[in-house]
Amino acid sequence: MTEVTITTLPAAPLHVFEIWNNAVAVAKRFKAAMGFALPATGRSGGNDALRLIRFEPTVWLVEGDISSLGDVLAEDGALTAISGGIVRIRLSGKGWRTLLMEGGVFDAESPDFAAGCSAATIIDHVNVRLHVIDETTCDAYVPLSFSQGLLHFWRQAAGSLVE
Amino acid sequence: MINFSFDGKAYTAQVGDTLAAALLRNGIGLVGRSFKYHRPRGIMTAGVEEPNALVTVGEGGRAEPNTRATDVFVYEGLVARSQNRWPNLSFDIGSVLGLAAPALSAGFYYKTFFGSAKKWMFYEYFIRKAAGLGNAPTQADPDRFSHRAAFCDVLVVGAGPAGMQAALEAAESGKRVILVEQDNILGASLIRDPQELDAAWIEATAARIRAAGGRILTRTTASGYWEHDLVTLTQRLSEPGQTPDNGVAQRLWHVRAGQVILASGSIERPMAFAHNDRPGVMLSQALRSYVRRFGVVPGKRVVIATNNDDAYKTAQAMKDAGAQIVAVLDARPAPAGANSGHRVYNNAIPLSTKGARHCLKNVSASVDGQTLEWDADLLAVSGGFTPVVHLHMQAGGTLDWNADAQAFVPASSRQNVTTIGGAAEPQPIFKMASAAKPKKSFIDFQNDVTLADVDLAWAEGYRSVEHLKRYTTLGMATDQGKLSNMAALGRLAEKQGVAIPEAGLTTFRPPYTPVTMGLLAGAGAKDAGAHVRRLALYDLHAAKNPIWQPLGYWFRPRAYPTGGETLAQAALREAKAVRNNVGITDVSTLAKFEVSGPDAAAFLEIICATTVSKLAVGRGRYTFMLREDGFVFDDGTVWRLDENRYLLTSSTGGADRMATHISYVRQYLCPHLRVSAVNVQEHYAGIAIAGPTAKAVLTTLIGEEPPRHMSTVPAVIAGVPVIILAASYSGERAFEIYITASDAATVWAACEAEVMKVGGALYGLEAMEFLRIEKGHLVVGGEVDGRMTPHDLALDKMLNKAGGFIGASGLARPALAEAGRRQLVGLEALDGDIPEGSMLIPSEGASPQGHVSAGAFRIIEGGSVALGQLVDGFSRHGEILIASSPTRGQKARVRVVAPHFYDPAGERYRD
Repeated sequence: MTEVTITTLPAAPLHVFEIWNNAVAVAKRFKAAMGFALPATGRSGGNDALRLIRFEPTVWLVEGDISSLGDVLAEDGALTAISGGIVRIRLSGKGWRTLLMEGGVFDAESPDFAAGCSAATIIDHVNVRLHVIDETTCDAYVPLSFSQGLLHFWRQAAGSLVE
Repeated sequence: MINFSFDGKAYTAQVGDTLAAALLRNGIGLVGRSFKYHRPRGIMTAGVEEPNALVTVGEGGRAEPNTRATDVFVYEGLVARSQNRWPNLSFDIGSVLGLAAPALSAGFYYKTFFGSAKKWMFYEYFIRKAAGLGNAPTQADPDRFSHRAAFCDVLVVGAGPAGMQAALEAAESGKRVILVEQDNILGASLIRDPQELDAAWIEATAARIRAAGGRILTRTTASGYWEHDLVTLTQRLSEPGQTPDNGVAQRLWHVRAGQVILASGSIERPMAFAHNDRPGVMLSQALRSYVRRFGVVPGKRVVIATNNDDAYKTAQAMKDAGAQIVAVLDARPAPAGANSGHRVYNNAIPLSTKGARHCLKNVSASVDGQTLEWDADLLAVSGGFTPVVHLHMQAGGTLDWNADAQAFVPASSRQNVTTIGGAAEPQPIFKMASAAKPKKSFIDFQNDVTLADVDLAWAEGYRSVEHLKRYTTLGMATDQGKLSNMAALGRLAEKQGVAIPEAGLTTFRPPYTPVTMGLLAGAGAKDAGAHVRRLALYDLHAAKNPIWQPLGYWFRPRAYPTGGETLAQAALREAKAVRNNVGITDVSTLAKFEVSGPDAAAFLEIICATTVSKLAVGRGRYTFMLREDGFVFDDGTVWRLDENRYLLTSSTGGADRMATHISYVRQYLCPHLRVSAVNVQEHYAGIAIAGPTAKAVLTTLIGEEPPRHMSTVPAVIAGVPVIILAASYSGERAFEIYITASDAATVWAACEAEVMKVGGALYGLEAMEFLRIEKGHLVVGGEVDGRMTPHDLALDKMLNKAGGFIGASGLARPALAEAGRRQLVGLEALDGDIPEGSMLIPSEGASPQGHVSAGAFRIIEGGSVALGQLVDGFSRHGEILIASSPTRGQKARVRVVAPHFYDPAGERYRD
């Protein structure tokens, strides 16, 4: 049996961080303030207090304390709260890659999809964002309205991952 | 030993037996009845190409009809039943149809269409009774089906020696490899002919593939080859009818491969001679498989008929197993087979057989023009080999003709696919023609098609192979012509006087072998294919047992009946509560977008067809959006929350479309704007409180004066920060309260308690529909149906006169302002209820001039009213029309009026 544990994480502050102007300057201010660079496309960056995952060319998902990001953005972007609409689900264990292939279309089994990588995909009709924490942990960001359905799907699938 | 049953009788099998092997092991040769003539049929093959031995396996909802006995592995308790027979397999009344065979030849079914319909109705009953395969189960399948994606550099189909070697080389060169095999063990032809590479080689090779990271899937068939080297695999995790270990019976894999290697081998061909379909006639390689793989020897006195060398291996295998080789009939001239050690007859072609119930009695053949006969219980035939080119052809490939093998072999393909092994290089054979009478010489065993049927189709003018196929039904059903197509092509070419390649080919379509419907449906088989979107407040609503209403993927409460109320009674009570007092409802599903930035207003004035920038902070307005062609496609409200921050709401049903539209405008049309537009549909749950006492209720909840109509303020309810929008869809003073969804339950509980304290009620979608129709508010998907302009909906006065919005240019087209367009009207019933969806006609028999888009009851006054679209409707107020629904047999006389039945001046909004 392929092992995977599915856990709903507690609600956490989630924001959309969007830059509309002076991207280079914002990136410099960001690095100076946070100590790490804005992550590239398909990547995440940060620490336990603040993590950013790049969603779109000018958009990042921010997880954690945003208190200093307003100054970083200044007049060059906006922060918008979205935490009410997203449920964070943690997939733990060696089987998370196999589980994500169930009803999926994305190559979660690729060795290139490693810690720090993120992806946007569809799983069993549901739009999901993925973020690889480490080789045995992947977080999924799931729309609230679909979260119960997808949890049910994953829990059922996790019991039958054997090939 | 494993216990199983066939037609109610208990038998035992050995571990690893297919049902076919187990039946033969128990001396059962008669396994089924043929489709049309109910002729006794046995086991002809040892693989998925089996045309005869079709059985139903399993019970209840797990029963799987038309399962090939050669493609199911026996498990403890397997229950199998024969098909298409009555009262039993040995004595089948339907077999009298064989006597009527001359009347039931090719195309007889189509000929029954001639004459009156009455005659066809008469024939149909008997045809349906007599013909057929197994019966589909009437109970639901209790098992689950899974869909899984996979990616690889190399997908190898077929785990024979060529496939395993290719997979090994790819895997050990560092590529991601998937090797699939439809059997439950690896080896393919090596299982039958292990002389060159034995079981140890198979085991060692598989271990090396796995060690190099390769994935090996057994009991898995590559069933379809699609564009971009996407290959679907159907994997059996349990046998037909078997309870799966983990709940999942089968898995459909979607494999995206960098390269596909087909090592799918070839299928042995039967020979055409009279009574070649009897139990006891078997393909040569199949016989060898039963002997060497399963240790089953299905006959004692064997005749072997061949046109190639391969069948001599079968003769040797049978001899080694202790059977007597009565004769080898070799179609080739001497000295073919001379050194085989068997009694070989050259220039020998089978003519006919005679049979007992489970085996043959006698075989006759033409030998050098003389007819000879032998007593024999088994006849093994080998008429050559047909490469399995199905996947290659599904991939868009072409074929070459291999004259030595008398077979089509894969040529080029526009996809990255290569064929290797026996499928690429079939064994050479001797070209032979049937010498037997065509009437009982079957070429398609599953559909009871004989050489005579092909001849008849030809005589009746069917020249194209595609027409021949459909007229004779050749190549249809579960085997899809795997055994029959080449024989039919050969006969057709013979009739045409051309070579086989010139006779044409039928189309190879997926799936390669039958696929169950449940597998195609996947996990969605049990819930209509997709997840239901749950409201953040789902549990609170569910506790009140509402009637649920699907709305897109959402389910929303339609009404909350109490005390045995019907839907209509509950909805009317709820609507009255809103009109007379106060009601509370969940509006969380509305689309919501937060738009921020210095250019937010400019951005919204591109999205919306109304002005936005003139809104003061804390104010909102009704707005609507156009497609580029000028037609209305959604509507909602826009609110200025802060200097550079707006909230845009739009319809539930159009939410995803609006999100796509906004994203398109932001990224493609307006990348230069300093704006962020974020979909916050699910971030905010929404609660609406509406009614003449709504203001008082909200005052209690927030501890201050609520905002005036079309104003917004931030507030706190039950300790939770909220945004209050004073907007009304019901026609009453009303408020929408937006809260972060995770806090919605707290706010709902506080609001509901306060509403109930003053005697208010919950209301659902049905009451909301009554309220909005009476007020004359639009709904997207109803009045806004993609065909209406702002003018048609009387929204033109709200258009942004400065233009610049999407749809402004399209709207300027003269045709959109011409007379004769349908326009929004109200309709009052003069008698009866106005049927929703009915057409509007001036008199009986006249052409429709419009339709009713939504109908409702007057909430307080009673009576039926509706909204509709009517040609030149604005100028026809006062006219009497008929709202007619012929499909429902309903109609009502209606008067055309303005589409506002309640408080047209909007006085009830104001304090």
